[in-house]
Amino acid sequence: MKTAIICARKGARRAFKQLLTGCLLLPVAAYAANAPTIKLFPTTVLEEIKHTGNVAAEMETGLQVVISQLDEQQKLYVDSKCEGNEGDPGCERIARQLGKSYLEMLNVMAEKLPEMETAVNATSASLEKRIRKELGQKKTSWTLQELLIGAESGKSAAASKPSLRGRSGMRLSDRFSQYYKLVARSGGKTNSSLAVIASDIYLDMQETSSLIARTREEISRATLMEQLNQSFGAITPEMQEVVAGVKAILFGEEFEVVPMALPPVRSADTGFESALQM
Amino acid sequence: MSSSMKKQLAGLVSVAAITASLAACSSNPVQVTSCSPPQGPNLEQAISRARFDLETGCEHEFDSYFQRLLTVAEGDPKKENKASFSEFLLWANDTGLLSKRQARQVYNRYFGVKYVSLVSDYSVCTQTCPNQSDVMRNMNLELADKEQGLLKISADRLNYTRASNLYQETELVLEATCMACGPFE
Repeated sequence: MKTAIICARKGARRAFKQLLTGCLLLPVAAYAANAPTIKLFPTTVLEEIKHTGNVAAEMETGLQVVISQLDEQQKLYVDSKCEGNEGDPGCERIARQLGKSYLEMLNVMAEKLPEMETAVNATSASLEKRIRKELGQKKTSWTLQELLIGAESGKSAAASKPSLRGRSGMRLSDRFSQYYKLVARSGGKTNSSLAVIASDIYLDMQETSSLIARTREEISRATLMEQLNQSFGAITPEMQEVVAGVKAILFGEEFEVVPMALPPVRSADTGFESALQM
Repeated sequence: MSSSMKKQLAGLVSVAAITASLAACSSNPVQVTSCSPPQGPNLEQAISRARFDLETGCEHEFDSYFQRLLTVAEGDPKKENKASFSEFLLWANDTGLLSKRQARQVYNRYFGVKYVSLVSDYSVCTQTCPNQSDVMRNMNLELADKEQGLLKISADRLNYTRASNLYQETELVLEATCMACGPFE
């Protein structure tokens, strides 16, 4: 049980680092990408993204103290060689304290997550509206690909095209870290880049929203389980299964790392141009 | 048999023989076209042979001739091959084997960066999203053709890379856009 608590706590930290890092980096990426002809990032969307970042920052502040506490207790538990020595009264006391801190962390999360969820959903809804209008209704699939290839913003656009990040196989935090680097590299982005970035952020927001919803459900169960553990000082195999489930959710899915799709395009080929070229 | 009858019969036989030989001449061109796509490593020779065959009764085999030319060109990848195929397709258009649109689509399918699979007249939400998986499947097939045309035939890695990037970006943007468009009826 004590090991389970420790693991669940580590999982919670990791999941929230992913959430928070992603949300905090969002505004930077979005602001720097603000040079649109197609209006994917109007002020309202930027404000919502900024707000989401602020909410995430508040949650981070709220969790910082209790996470530090958990770190110390975990260190004490390990240093006291309590693993495999659960019957020891001293170890049992440390484990109960760990459990209390864990409950406290769950409470903070339960308290802050709804606001976070609202902010993420609002941002997602705004982006959804812009993408539907600007890319879904104003473009045909042909003009969309022309936008992506940079035809509408000149052939030199190819030089500033972002290297494709791909949606799968990468953690949320790494994905947003890439956005940051991508945008920080050059100030003004082309429309083609904006379409890709907006799409990626929107899909990430959808996933984040789903992750928050699942986490909230699991927090309720984890809280109940830990309360029982505090009362009886023991845990049944069924309860351990619940902890394992919480761990799985909080740790998130472990993706394999995929290689970068392809090297960035430098410039268009200016060689032969057929009369048949479309 | 009287001598006059013999003369008449001989005359008939002669006429029949002349008619038959004339008919034979008109149905046999000087060079027989077998409609077998050209062999050999030389693209220009293969194109020349294909042109002759396609002009002399093998037009229904255009696709197999074109595929053979692609295979021949793979044996000697170089940027100039792109121009050879462009010229061949323009010729096919001039001779009426292909319409301008067909010639354009075939050329761009193999040697262009953009995807002819994405040609459409209506908005992404209404036309593309209801068939999103088909569109992506077709693009994927086209990417394989671009690999052959750009990479293996024209040695044009740069433009193949662009085409490949475009495929992946389109997949991402279409996924987001179709999700944003919402469910279709």
